[in-house]
Amino acid sequence: MTCDEAKILLPEYWSQGLGEAEEIAFEVHLADCEACRTEASRLGSLWKGLALVPAEEPGPQLRGRFYNALSAYRQGLESAARPRWKDKVAAWWPKQPAWQMAASFALLAAGIGIGYGMRGEKPREEVHQLREEVASMRQLVALSLLQQQSASDRLRGVSWAYRAEPSDTEVLSALVSAVKNDSNVNVRLQAVDALHAFAASPMTRQAVVQALPHEKAPIVQVALIDLLVDFKDRDAAGELRKLAATESVDGGVRERAQWAVERLQ
Amino acid sequence: MKKLLMWSMMAALSAPLAMPQDKVTVPFRDASRPRKLVVDSLLGSVTVRGYGGQEAIVETTPRAGDGRGRGGGRGGGRGKQTEVPAGMHRIGGNTGGVEITEDNNTINISGGFFSPVDISIQVPTQTSVTVNLVTGRTLTIENISGEVEATNMNGQVNINNVSGSVVAHSMNGKIMVSLNSVMPDKAVSVSTMNGDIDVSLPSAVKANLKLKTDHGGMFTDFDIKVDSTPRPPKVEDRRDKGGPYRVEMGGTTYGTINGGGPEIQFTTFNGNIRIHKK
Amino acid sequence: MARVGAGEVAQLAVLFERHHRGLFRYFVSMNRNRDLADDLVQDVFFRMLRYRGSYDPAQSFTAWMYQIARNAGVDQARKRMNDVVDIEEFAERRAELMSPAPGPEETAVRGQDLVLLRRAMDQLPAEKREILVLSRFQAMKYEDIAEVLGCEVGTVKVRVYRAMRALEQIYFTLEKEKAS
Repeated sequence: MTCDEAKILLPEYWSQGLGEAEEIAFEVHLADCEACRTEASRLGSLWKGLALVPAEEPGPQLRGRFYNALSAYRQGLESAARPRWKDKVAAWWPKQPAWQMAASFALLAAGIGIGYGMRGEKPREEVHQLREEVASMRQLVALSLLQQQSASDRLRGVSWAYRAEPSDTEVLSALVSAVKNDSNVNVRLQAVDALHAFAASPMTRQAVVQALPHEKAPIVQVALIDLLVDFKDRDAAGELRKLAATESVDGGVRERAQWAVERLQ
Repeated sequence: MKKLLMWSMMAALSAPLAMPQDKVTVPFRDASRPRKLVVDSLLGSVTVRGYGGQEAIVETTPRAGDGRGRGGGRGGGRGKQTEVPAGMHRIGGNTGGVEITEDNNTINISGGFFSPVDISIQVPTQTSVTVNLVTGRTLTIENISGEVEATNMNGQVNINNVSGSVVAHSMNGKIMVSLNSVMPDKAVSVSTMNGDIDVSLPSAVKANLKLKTDHGGMFTDFDIKVDSTPRPPKVEDRRDKGGPYRVEMGGTTYGTINGGGPEIQFTTFNGNIRIHKK
Repeated sequence: MARVGAGEVAQLAVLFERHHRGLFRYFVSMNRNRDLADDLVQDVFFRMLRYRGSYDPAQSFTAWMYQIARNAGVDQARKRMNDVVDIEEFAERRAELMSPAPGPEETAVRGQDLVLLRRAMDQLPAEKREILVLSRFQAMKYEDIAEVLGCEVGTVKVRVYRAMRALEQIYFTLEKEKAS
């Protein structure tokens, strides 16, 4: 292998590796050639450095814009005679267990199965009609996952619920139900967290106050208390005082409840 | 139609020092369908290990000397274990023995209700495992690629060499988790009220972190990019204009490893969070 | 008009979650303009939706996506050509404003000045910068890069090497400037 041949292989050697025979020839050359070794070392250190250059991250508005545009794009592409979108999507959706669904998405996303005929479109027409569709898709995924048997699926349902519209009462109901009834501590904990986005709804505050006396896991109790303070919910003071005074409750929780009572004065 | 197979493993305590172990092999009815193991125990330790076989192998070791009458809530205080006559075994379940049933490819094991029992189970690696342990001892789950759900009210939780989802909680106890991978369809969520959380991840893993500790620190040898953008948005009250009312969340730290990936969640109240490269 | 059903919408959402950050980084590296990168990322996804008929499953998905990305970038550049007066100077100034500053730990690693390294990247001619972004930041395979750029795999290898050489020269120059 000549120097010219070897040098060109450097980036490939570092990134995806060379074929076996080529790699041996390359390494042999390097062992014998000081010039190439020096170059490998200099360029190599830059190559490594490139991986360390911090990646620019998009701001949060990128995602928001995309999903808004997507929902606008989608709406109304079909004719008025189409079946109710909910039935259609529901029919397509939930017979599969949640993980299978996710797997099939992954396959589709990997490029298999993408390929539908398409005629030209008028962007402007599409723009206003998708909003409901995508919000509904997210809603459906959240609701479907929240009903699954496995705690992992329900947790994923909670994370989809984060992205729901604040006006989405169905998702809110499902989250509230999860907070009150889910058998898994982590699901309840994350569901409480997700309720932050639904602060405007009186249903949320009521539900949290109701859940408080029944919740037994201290870590969730703390989360509920913090949520009430964030909501500045003065009506909760009574329930919080009771909690602070209950002997069987965890010390850390009682302290927190007491702090909350004071914060809400 | 529900077909139920039952085994009962009895604690034969004919002499205090004789700790007979019972060992039983339990087949999953259908080797081609997903397998599930559910263990419920009140007292004692539980260890579940994945292995290369097709069946579940269950070993129980009663602990003598502690726990007599501890499970008093169930069936009244028992001051003394009734002795099993030589050459016989107890029929029926409710005596602190361990019950094993198989139903539709799910093996259910429950025990340790009156006296502590150490339960050790081997299952095929590709099995979903759910363990609920209440008191005092360690819960260990290893070499499992199915879904892992682990709850130990008072005691440590060790989850090692797993590649499926991990949902774990301890009320009082340290949680140690070592993951082989982080995937979008496999949630990882760990919480404890009093205890450290120790996580090991492959150094090349891509993940988003959601971390919270009320009293404690967070440490890592990863290069974690902490998200300075608070999410959800800060308090925004535009209700008077018919707009939204949104609340900022404080106290939770978000970050990314290696550019980010699926979100993994760790929450403790009194304790430290440590995130290690494997 | 062909239907864009819930399936396509869901697919696009999945693709978005998976790829939008990589695309953003690509565009910012090429243009040093975050707002422009934002617009371009949106553009790429909707073009993928619109032109999904053109995707051949035998082809690498990433290669197809980046072909679309490049086209989108070129179209935008044409539109914005009039906005920028002195491209080189502008690019460098923007670069300094736009880069997230590496922390001290990052800068100290292996004696590499990451700030300098980024500046060196920004001063590379666009073609050389692009091939490094694709091969190093996006970690694309050479076969895919060849498809995206419309050249032979062998050419890609040579070009990556030459880009690294150029980067080294610029970096070395910047280092000297800094020292003096």
